[in-house]
Amino acid sequence: MTLSHHNRQHSTRIGTATEDNFSPETRSHLSEKGLERNRFDGFDYFTCLMTIVLIGLGILTIYSATYNPEATSWLTGYCRRQLIWVGSALVIGTILFLFHYNVLYQAAYPLYGLGIILLLAVEVAGSTHMGATRWLTLGNFSVQPSEFTKLTVILALARFLSNRRLPPPYNLKELITPAIIIALPAALILKQPDLGTAMLIILISGVIIFIAGITRGTIITLGLSALTAAAVGWQFLHDYQRQRILTFMNPEIDPLGSGYHIAQSKIAIGAGKLFGKGFLKGTQNSLHFLPEQHTDFIFAAYAEQWGFLGVLILLAIYFLFLLRALNIAMEARDSFGSYLATGIAAIFFWQVTINIGMVSGLMPVVGIPLPLFSYGGTSMLTSIALISILLNIHYRRKG
Amino acid sequence: MIIMTVIIAGITLRLWYLQIVKGEYYSQKSQDNRIRNRRIRALRGIITDRHGKILADNSLGFNLQIIPENIDRDNIKELSGLIAELTEELEADTIVKLYSKSSAYTRHRPLTLKKNLTADELARIEARKYELPGVIIETEPLREYPYDKICSHIIGYLGFINDRELQLEAYQSYARDDLVGRTGIEARYQSDLRGRDGLRQVVVNARGRELETFTVKSTVSGNNLQLTIDIELQKFAFDLMGEQVGSLVAIDPENGEILALVSTPSFSNNLFSTRIRKEDWQRISTDPLHPLQNRPIQGCYPPGSTIKPLIAAVALTDQLINPETKFFCNGSLTLGRTRFRCWNRYGHGETALLKSITQSCDVYYYNLATRVSIDRLAAFGSEFGIGRKSGIELPGEKSGLMPSSSWKLKNVHDQWYTGDTLSVCIGQGYLTTTPLQIAAMYMVFANQGTYFRPHLIKNDDINGVKVDINDKNMEVIRKALWQVVNTRRGTARKSRLTNKQWEMAGKTGTAQVVKQHLETLKKVADTPWRFRDHAWFAAFAPFTNPKIAIAVLIEHGGHGGSTAAPIARQAVEFYLNKLDSLKK
Repeated sequence: MTLSHHNRQHSTRIGTATEDNFSPETRSHLSEKGLERNRFDGFDYFTCLMTIVLIGLGILTIYSATYNPEATSWLTGYCRRQLIWVGSALVIGTILFLFHYNVLYQAAYPLYGLGIILLLAVEVAGSTHMGATRWLTLGNFSVQPSEFTKLTVILALARFLSNRRLPPPYNLKELITPAIIIALPAALILKQPDLGTAMLIILISGVIIFIAGITRGTIITLGLSALTAAAVGWQFLHDYQRQRILTFMNPEIDPLGSGYHIAQSKIAIGAGKLFGKGFLKGTQNSLHFLPEQHTDFIFAAYAEQWGFLGVLILLAIYFLFLLRALNIAMEARDSFGSYLATGIAAIFFWQVTINIGMVSGLMPVVGIPLPLFSYGGTSMLTSIALISILLNIHYRRKG
Repeated sequence: MIIMTVIIAGITLRLWYLQIVKGEYYSQKSQDNRIRNRRIRALRGIITDRHGKILADNSLGFNLQIIPENIDRDNIKELSGLIAELTEELEADTIVKLYSKSSAYTRHRPLTLKKNLTADELARIEARKYELPGVIIETEPLREYPYDKICSHIIGYLGFINDRELQLEAYQSYARDDLVGRTGIEARYQSDLRGRDGLRQVVVNARGRELETFTVKSTVSGNNLQLTIDIELQKFAFDLMGEQVGSLVAIDPENGEILALVSTPSFSNNLFSTRIRKEDWQRISTDPLHPLQNRPIQGCYPPGSTIKPLIAAVALTDQLINPETKFFCNGSLTLGRTRFRCWNRYGHGETALLKSITQSCDVYYYNLATRVSIDRLAAFGSEFGIGRKSGIELPGEKSGLMPSSSWKLKNVHDQWYTGDTLSVCIGQGYLTTTPLQIAAMYMVFANQGTYFRPHLIKNDDINGVKVDINDKNMEVIRKALWQVVNTRRGTARKSRLTNKQWEMAGKTGTAQVVKQHLETLKKVADTPWRFRDHAWFAAFAPFTNPKIAIAVLIEHGGHGGSTAAPIARQAVEFYLNKLDSLKK
């Protein structure tokens, strides 16, 4: 009760503070809409259910991917740790849900600043694993600030765009500040080096800005400069990153076996055929031919065991989930919520696309996990936090 | 949203392609990934002598291997240095190069650095094993020849199959790294000795660790082979030959079984049992004495006087002469404008058959040559095996040359002259024979007229073929051969057997290497080695009921009676003594 009281108090204050900046429609909605709706009426059970199904399938696949016949209990190792992460993520998600998402509006810039500080901290004190400095070690757990940054960037962008006095579409000059908001963390992440996440942040931000609306001239200019940037950026890539891209373009060159991961993962997926090899029967996975079979390559382990049918089901769930998220964006009570929901949908969309595209050999290998599915605490925390925000936006929607 | 739908549809399409369209292909790949077929080498058949003594055996060879996957990239330099230090002939750079060649797919496969480690190397490596992670010692069946040089020409050796052979249909069931017989019995009986390799399937994980093993096909060892060789006689004869270059062939006259087949100089076939070292090969293949040549079956020499009993036999059979027919030898015979000389420049005087063989009178045979046609001689000689391959179970046998008129027309483009026959009748001219052929001919004299195909593998199906000569004539020839060894004027009288219970019969021969004139004839010792005559001695013993027929050829040995005959006598005595002691 205390929490909900706080919630209401905060939201009212924020609402007042930002009222002037909202578009006229939003303002009218705000005035019409109170917060007196039935507590369970606006709750999005559908999104919740899909989230639970995805996490469940994920844990099942983590279990099979790390299956050890000699283990005494199934609830050990990766499975147990993933469950702990899910549990703590749910607690955080629930807390986030209780606050009006406008708290995030207020906190957008400070959080963005915190994200940058954490990235700098990684730069200074991060732990290096497999040649990349991406982790900050806190006691027993390591966290990946770049995951957190995905959220803070879309928050900052959503606030910046919803706060503008000028209406969209935007021209190039008006996009300078958003560009800086995007480029600063992207550059820091690229330096770790984590090409995948840096690209991801740029792609997600691109979706938000695109949805907000930009002029045709800007699209053309941006397209051209992106090409130039790619050419220049090539110079700054790490050897292994270049190697991955080259290997992807031409798997035959493969001198040090960067193509090995893709090849093995394609074998695992293909060998699943229509019905799959069955639970725990994936030999590619159980005999460790599959690299990182419980994290980035978990989709291949899933596809090997459940076949094309299982893959269809999984893709359908993600697809419905994304449609729902875009729907939430459209029904949001204000443009901040709308941009935020769009950003969240974009995060999920690009992660799913890049991850599956990568393991099926359509894209270069970059370290992007499959959201809600792959083993990994930071990813799970971020994903559930994002979903909680989505539910929040939906709960406090217009109408 | 449309873009999003299109992208997700694209991914679905991709997965449909991987799992449905190419599903079968990837299924197979996943099978190949985890199931490795391992060949289990079948043991090669063992080769023994007639009494079961092992001539070719299998032992264990130790190979040095590394598994690249288990070696850290940062460590390889140091490790290679250590390996190079502990072994001979291995260089650190080569190891590093080999190591870095292995790709992600092959890193779990052992790489062989060196085959057949010496005991010293093995000990040094085992002692420092803890400093050598990723280094393993693999064992492998290795061919071993206990008698080495003594019978390497008979047994032969193995060599790795080459790329060209792998393409051939005959080698379809072979794989790279297989050893095949290269010469001798090993080559001739390759398919019998080889056996059948087994197959083991191993389930491996990505690290190459073997998780499960099951034998799909068990190995079948190769067939063992028993030779007719008496290795003790072979060894004794080999030692008798010593440094001399030549051949010794001993045959059992009762069935044609070859008891000894010695060729000197010899080579060590153990050197070949894996990859032969370059310098060894250099040394063996460039030796002017051609140790790789199997002289008893590949050396073609003029038979010299050892052919004379055959000439006498054909003359008796065709009733051109009788045993009492005499010719006068005054040291030479003139035919047209050419003088054919007897080896004895003073002549043998009145000479009949017995004396012609005992004292090896050339003029007597010149006279026979004027009466017999070369084609008849060729046909008759063929019954004794002269001029044709015996069919011995060894590769590379030569037929020698028994000339005929048609042969000369075809190869020399000239007609046959009586003068040519004269040379042939004293074992010179176009006529050449292998030591095996001479031994086989004396086998026929020994057993009184039956030609058995000389053979190395025990075989009861070999039927003798009677030669066209009657018993009475055969007795005359045999008696003459007896006199050569056992009478005062005989050319091999010094080589009669010391044990008086047996008597040997035989014939000496001296084959000219270069044409010499009587005027320039010097003592043997004064002639340069390579111009000296080849020395022959062919014999059988005991005279009644012979157990061994033998032919000895010493290249550039001078006179048969003084160099070849003593060797034959000792070998014969050794063998007869052995038979005697076996009987008791």
